[in-house]
Amino acid sequence: MDFNTSIGIAATGLHAQSARMRVIAENIANADSTASTPGGEPYRRRVPTFETVMNNELGGRVVSMGKLAYDQSDFNNRYEPGHPAADANGYVQYPNVNTLIETMDMREAQRSYEANLNVVSVTRQMLGQTLDILRG
Amino acid sequence: MGLLDMPVFSALTDKMRWHQARQGLLAENVANADNPGFKGRDLKQYNFEDRFSVVQAPVVNTATTQPRHFSTSIGGGTSFTDDKMVNFEITPKGNGITLEDEMMKVTTNMMDYQAATSLYQKSVKILKTALGKTA
Repeated sequence: MDFNTSIGIAATGLHAQSARMRVIAENIANADSTASTPGGEPYRRRVPTFETVMNNELGGRVVSMGKLAYDQSDFNNRYEPGHPAADANGYVQYPNVNTLIETMDMREAQRSYEANLNVVSVTRQMLGQTLDILRG
Repeated sequence: MGLLDMPVFSALTDKMRWHQARQGLLAENVANADNPGFKGRDLKQYNFEDRFSVVQAPVVNTATTQPRHFSTSIGGGTSFTDDKMVNFEITPKGNGITLEDEMMKVTTNMMDYQAATSLYQKSVKILKTALGKTA
């Protein structure tokens, strides 16, 4: 494994975390997206999954975005009889997105992103030190 | 006689290669830190004596002529071996990686690498001085 491999592996980590941020952004943006027809299903929360893949080109175990799964938990019911999506009893189904959980996830993604970025910069410094040998 | 024929330089080069390999493994650990069930890896501590014993000590192997014979030979070879990390914290994901720990290791790795490269530089300077050139 050379330094370029290390940087490549860290880059896959950056990529995975930014993809995760995209999913979190989708969830938060759609936190209030209800259906437009009575009794219809609202937006369902999406969960990013990561998997470890052996990358032969880089010669290391890199991370890649797996399937985007759907959160199977129950929707929130709110009593809003005047809403276009209200069912016969006047209840509207709201998405199963909890912004608090999304914010926590966002923090975790940010922290992981920073860690990967740190690996990249440290590896670059080490490369620089190697080149310093030439300067003598 | 090349630079690498001198023990100082070959040892330092070996150590730098070890740090390079370790940096790759640490990058793996950090990148996969959020994967459920991922087992982190780290390199075995670098030991100069190991390196030299491999080079200097003659290895005698016993021949296994029957399947019931057990081998008494010491595993030679210069390849670095991976071993599982001993971590005190295992998260509920079944994933034994703490980012803080990994960051510490990455930084330590860099500092040790820097020590090796500056030692290398100094050794080259000593050679230059011996040659009578002002370094």
